[in-house]
Amino acid sequence: MKFKDLLKFSFSLLLLMCATMAQAQNKQVSGKVTDSKTGESLAGVTVAAKGTTAGATTDVNGSFRLSVPASATTLTVSYLGYDSKDVAITGNNPINITLDANSTTLNEVKVVSIGYGTQDQSKVTSAITRVTPDDFRQSGSRNALDLIQGKVAGLAITRTSGTNPNGGVSVQLRGAVSVSSANSPLIVIDGIPNGNLDLLQQDDVESIDVIKDGSGAAIYGSIASGGVILVTTKKGKNGPPTVNYSSYARKEYLNQRLKFLSADEYRQRIASGEIKQKDFGNSTDFIDQLINKDNLSQNHNLSFSGGTEKTTYRASLNYRDLQGIAKENGRKEYTIRLNMTQKSLNDRLRLYADLTTNINRANLLGGGGWESELTKNPTLSNYNPDGSYRFDLTSTNEFARLQQETYYRKQQTTSANAKADIDIVKGLTGSVAGSVIRDSYIDGQYRLKASENSLENTDFPGGGYAYKGDYLRFDYNFEPTLQYKNTFFEKHNLTALAGYSYRYSIFETSSASNRGFINDLFREDNLAQGSALAVGKASISSNKEDNTLVALFGRLQYSYQGKYLLQGTVRREGSSRFGAANKFGFFPAVNAGWVLSEEDFIKKHKFINFLKLRGGYGETGNSGFANYASLVTLGGGGRYIYPDGSYFETYGPTRNPNPNLKWEVKKETDIGVEFAMFDNRLTGQIDYYKRTVKDLLDTYVSPQPPFIQSSIYTNVGTLSASGLEFAFGYAAINSGDFRWNVDATFTYALSNKLDSYSNDEYKVLYKTFAGIGGAGDLGNAITTYEGANTGEFWGKRFAGFTPDGKWLFYNRNGVAVPNSQINISKDANTTDLAKIGNAIPKAYASLTNKFAYKSFDLRFFLRGRFGNDILNTPALSYANRTWSGNLLKSTFTKYSQINDTYQYSDYYIENGSFVKLDEVTLGYNFKFKTKYLRNVRLYVTGQNLATITKYTGTDPDYIRDTGLDPGVDNRSAYPSTRSFLVGLNVGF
Amino acid sequence: MKSKLFIYTALAAGLLNSTACKKQLEEKAYSQLTTDAFYNNKNEVVSAVLRPYTHANAWVTPSGQDGWWRPAELSGDQLAWPTKGRHGEDGGKWKRLHYHTWFNDEGGLNNAWSLMYWGMGLCNDPIENLGKRDIASMGITQAEKDSYIAELKLLRAFHYLKLMDLFGNIPVVTQVGIPAKPETRPRAEVFKFIETEIKDNIAKAPKLSRTQLGRMSQAGAYAMLVELYLNAEVWTGTARWDDCIAAADQLINNAGGGQNGVMALDPNITDQFKTTNDLSKEVIFSIAYNYSVANFQPSWPSEFYHFKQQEIYGGGRNGNDGIVVIPGVYTTYDASDLRRSNWLLIGPQVKFSDGVSPVLASEEYNGSQLVFVDNIRKNKSNSTVSNMSEGEENSGVRFNKYKLGNQVPGPGGVPAIDPNYNNGDWNIYRLTWIYFAKAEALMRKNGGAANATAVQLINDCKKRAFSDADWATRAYTTATLTLDELLAERGREFIFEGFRRDDLIRFGKFNTASWWDHSPTAATRALYPIPQQQRDLNGNLAQNPGY
Repeated sequence: MKFKDLLKFSFSLLLLMCATMAQAQNKQVSGKVTDSKTGESLAGVTVAAKGTTAGATTDVNGSFRLSVPASATTLTVSYLGYDSKDVAITGNNPINITLDANSTTLNEVKVVSIGYGTQDQSKVTSAITRVTPDDFRQSGSRNALDLIQGKVAGLAITRTSGTNPNGGVSVQLRGAVSVSSANSPLIVIDGIPNGNLDLLQQDDVESIDVIKDGSGAAIYGSIASGGVILVTTKKGKNGPPTVNYSSYARKEYLNQRLKFLSADEYRQRIASGEIKQKDFGNSTDFIDQLINKDNLSQNHNLSFSGGTEKTTYRASLNYRDLQGIAKENGRKEYTIRLNMTQKSLNDRLRLYADLTTNINRANLLGGGGWESELTKNPTLSNYNPDGSYRFDLTSTNEFARLQQETYYRKQQTTSANAKADIDIVKGLTGSVAGSVIRDSYIDGQYRLKASENSLENTDFPGGGYAYKGDYLRFDYNFEPTLQYKNTFFEKHNLTALAGYSYRYSIFETSSASNRGFINDLFREDNLAQGSALAVGKASISSNKEDNTLVALFGRLQYSYQGKYLLQGTVRREGSSRFGAANKFGFFPAVNAGWVLSEEDFIKKHKFINFLKLRGGYGETGNSGFANYASLVTLGGGGRYIYPDGSYFETYGPTRNPNPNLKWEVKKETDIGVEFAMFDNRLTGQIDYYKRTVKDLLDTYVSPQPPFIQSSIYTNVGTLSASGLEFAFGYAAINSGDFRWNVDATFTYALSNKLDSYSNDEYKVLYKTFAGIGGAGDLGNAITTYEGANTGEFWGKRFAGFTPDGKWLFYNRNGVAVPNSQINISKDANTTDLAKIGNAIPKAYASLTNKFAYKSFDLRFFLRGRFGNDILNTPALSYANRTWSGNLLKSTFTKYSQINDTYQYSDYYIENGSFVKLDEVTLGYNFKFKTKYLRNVRLYVTGQNLATITKYTGTDPDYIRDTGLDPGVDNRSAYPSTRSFLVGLNVGF
Repeated sequence: MKSKLFIYTALAAGLLNSTACKKQLEEKAYSQLTTDAFYNNKNEVVSAVLRPYTHANAWVTPSGQDGWWRPAELSGDQLAWPTKGRHGEDGGKWKRLHYHTWFNDEGGLNNAWSLMYWGMGLCNDPIENLGKRDIASMGITQAEKDSYIAELKLLRAFHYLKLMDLFGNIPVVTQVGIPAKPETRPRAEVFKFIETEIKDNIAKAPKLSRTQLGRMSQAGAYAMLVELYLNAEVWTGTARWDDCIAAADQLINNAGGGQNGVMALDPNITDQFKTTNDLSKEVIFSIAYNYSVANFQPSWPSEFYHFKQQEIYGGGRNGNDGIVVIPGVYTTYDASDLRRSNWLLIGPQVKFSDGVSPVLASEEYNGSQLVFVDNIRKNKSNSTVSNMSEGEENSGVRFNKYKLGNQVPGPGGVPAIDPNYNNGDWNIYRLTWIYFAKAEALMRKNGGAANATAVQLINDCKKRAFSDADWATRAYTTATLTLDELLAERGREFIFEGFRRDDLIRFGKFNTASWWDHSPTAATRALYPIPQQQRDLNGNLAQNPGY
């Protein structure tokens, strides 16, 4: 139930009370309200006697009873999501009423969060998309943002670490907004900026609203350039107590791995002379030994909630055990979330309090080492002939590492927030909100004396290794606001908001490690016992940083007859990170909307149910850079000999000062259309955006001399982007028992450009990104020239091979020449390098098909990425016989001609487009003829079921597409998994 | 109501600008120092004075970074970093150094420029800060203050000397940040600036002594003068042979002090390069490492060592299998020359720990014994093509001049663990080099012919590399010590020490001679280009001729 419903509900109750008092002249009416299709009882339906003040709401069984004036003849029955209905009051009690569900969702009074408040979707003038649990991905989130991957046009969410339970997501709205600062959206949880995603369990999330455009995000000022994601958690509701239990169990299977030779195949290639390497006589599938075939993840959530008109509560307990496809790669966590609200002072004072804590223990040992194990000579073994682990200096025995080392993180994150709203005079509400988030963890590592790391350490051979590190962070937030809301002359709706914001963040870390233990008994629990400490070879470090943000903000919303909408926002914000000359920034925004469907010339077209045109312009900032970046600090330069022969730390300037350092500014214009047509069966939202990020922060090369350091962190460049976003919903079939709904999103990038990277003082003609890695120092794959598109791969152009397998490339005149004659200077007038692809996707699309038949529901979710290129680094490095270990099978087919060292060229650039059948869910809702069970739903979900792509490296879904350095495949990618999940939800 | 709200908002906005609010936004650095809060006691002063030395490790030694050393050596006829299988292509940078085909915007050269001017700035900064503070606030005496500033000015001159060596015409800046866009000055002017700085400060600087270990001193200053004058003809067009001899004599006569008593040649070819080379008598200026107490260790293993080198010498450090000796250089050493057997590594490698079991290779020869060979070609495929692209993991004779020492005992406990493992210093100047410079100056003055003094100077150095029995037939005479022979002997003595490019230039070979995979190039290649990246930032930087 949304806030508005709560109001309705309270209002109805009020009416009921009045009605009761006037009972004498009244007649009794009672009845039951049910869904016309499913026959389910509907609770909370408003039943009012037309033309009177009498009304009631239905109880959990759909029953109502009210006393109406004798003159009343008609009941108006209304319920969110259903068409309202007038029913005649007959003499017969009870009256059975059936309601028809609305065919689409937009017809509901859909409320969205806009930051510091909510607004009816139909009145919203900026680009906001709301996703609710019905549309969440059901494959079991590892991070709350997994729930909405592919669901919001313009929002790219990529799991670069695959299904690693300890890996995060890379998130980006509408393309990169920064070169060196943060690109991710601001996360706001229940009003707290920089909310911690660890605190969110999927069953606690009520909704996720994504503010995509600058005008909507401007209220968050200097931290909102990446967009804003507002998460609202579930709250208690006025009504009978409810208990919900939901759980799932998930098993993952290896989906796809790079196709390397088996030991037998390797042996055959040695025999045939194609591989000039040694056969060590064993047959080992090294990857197989890292795979946790017994993985089983589970999640259990128990919540109970309820409340009265004055007080509501909700408590949620969550246990989650996530196990990765890799051994020693998991996470166990407990989350408790408590929420209370209370009204007092005759409802003029409303109090809210939330307390959430997440306690988790992550096993960070496994989940890596893939490249090493994929590429080992498969005739080697993890063991020596005598049964001990085989170690060598140039590789790591990853399997042994899992047995001989430990690495965990014990973390607790707690968030407490409280808010008080008070109605001062009619329409004027004052609020004070405060919150504190405490995040802390301890890391511990131990490597046995017999482990490879320990034995190969030559300072303390066989002396073990112990590490302990801790982290403590506090985020304080204090925000008083004043809101004034009123309607004048029934036509002019005004909402004004003013507020102050103070945020302070501080963190401290320390860590220590030691070697040279005499036995393995202490592990990391008695660090001082190692002998490395005494001789100065142990490591110790600590650090502490803080930063402060203060802001004043205001917002004015005006609508005329619900037809013409206007909104203005300002935020003035100061940050301690900014240089002394630029402590405060100003972030304005203005929006307008026009609900065309309220105009007569549209109203006459009956097929249009709703049509709104809106536009906005807003400025936001990005201050997601390091603390102290504007100060001249002295840094340690290593220890050097003092006159007495002892060594002490030396100090010199570590940065060039920049008192002018400030935020990056994003200026964004958004024009959008929202519509509902054909009896609300087709709904949609189309947005066009154009944005420019000015004063881009980056490490610029400063002229040396006269500056000491080669670089200065300063604001120079400009980045721009424009694009189109489409979201459609279509109720294809809605007949009787069968329903079919289609949701589709489509994002198209019109342009992504680095407009400039120079000013009078600093000149950068190009910038390179995306290290290729591997042997031979191939440099960066992406070169972005000033004025050109971002994400362009610049490299050599493959022209074939000489008869003996040496590379030939085209020079700038199109002549095939040997590598040694290729000019790789970045000077555009001489270089032989060329634009050979672009790593930034042109388009994203997703398609959800939801079917329902009686109690069954079925959902297919497809999503895809199009028009991007990927550098196939696994092929570059491991489909080349110059590598001495295991090789990709394609070495002997597609790549068989190469007899030369590694080279980066368009030979390895491939089309990275893909379409993925991300999820199929089949659910069944049980119906029990008991009032003790409200609902029981059982479902099965398959995730990552099929991928259609021409790309031949790793799963392209997990290759990063965000930032300015995307598109380089990961040789050590976490293996792509396919998972199956069984879930159960019970409500009573 | 509405208007009131706006008034309150405006009021609050005013408050936000108040000083109290700005104060709230001042940053407090907990784990970093700021310059204003520094230089309050002698230790802080010393730690600022010493900062450029740890930095110099990065650019003056073969540190694994593109500093001064790589362009000073890898463009010469002794050392190269060939592509070895999948390793070492590195964007072709090593080939361009070898072929002299570097670009105007060569990343490595820009990095060298940047590192060296950074180091120069690390001198300017404390010179400025010491200069403007009174001695009481720093807790030092006036004499100490003068001495520190003189030392820093000499060290700054050293930076300019090496910058001028690579780039020729460069800007000279003595204050941090001023002027904003300094102009190129012709090499002769830069030369003059360096010479004047040295002469003005030499007397105020401390003499070399045990307490000045690893730092610039009067001895280092004289060595800089020797280098300046030795190359004066190339650098300014005017020969300064007599000045060169005079400066060299100052060192030979111990006028600049010595690190361990009176400065003198070491009696052998190992004292200068072993782990306790801080005890060398001939070292003039070095970067002083100490791993035992400070974790400050030599940086060069990454340049020279094989991926599994540690097994060869019984330590813990390996490298990138990078720089090797060009084929044929090895055989320019006489078979009885101790420098060949002691400073170079060739042939099948066995484990230090037992002296018997083979060190196993890890790339082309994975699982087989590692055998360093005096050729660079794909022996595994029976190829005879020898060039910068066709190496294997074992190609080329290897660096073994400096020693890291051993962390594990040798077979039967001999040798025992070296307590000074990883502590050896890197010599920037040593007396042997001064001897060679003086001999060369004498010969140049003499129309290229050696006199008895010159022969004696070279023989004093060379005879340490031979047994007494072998020496009799290897000693130079005024007839055998020609200029060509001097260049060859310089190569043998100073291999890996960073002087080869200068030597080839001074002897007129850099652009005219061919060696291994290198053919002659334009004379203008004797100077590196001013990095285009720097010229983009500072329009007052002129490009060198020919680029």
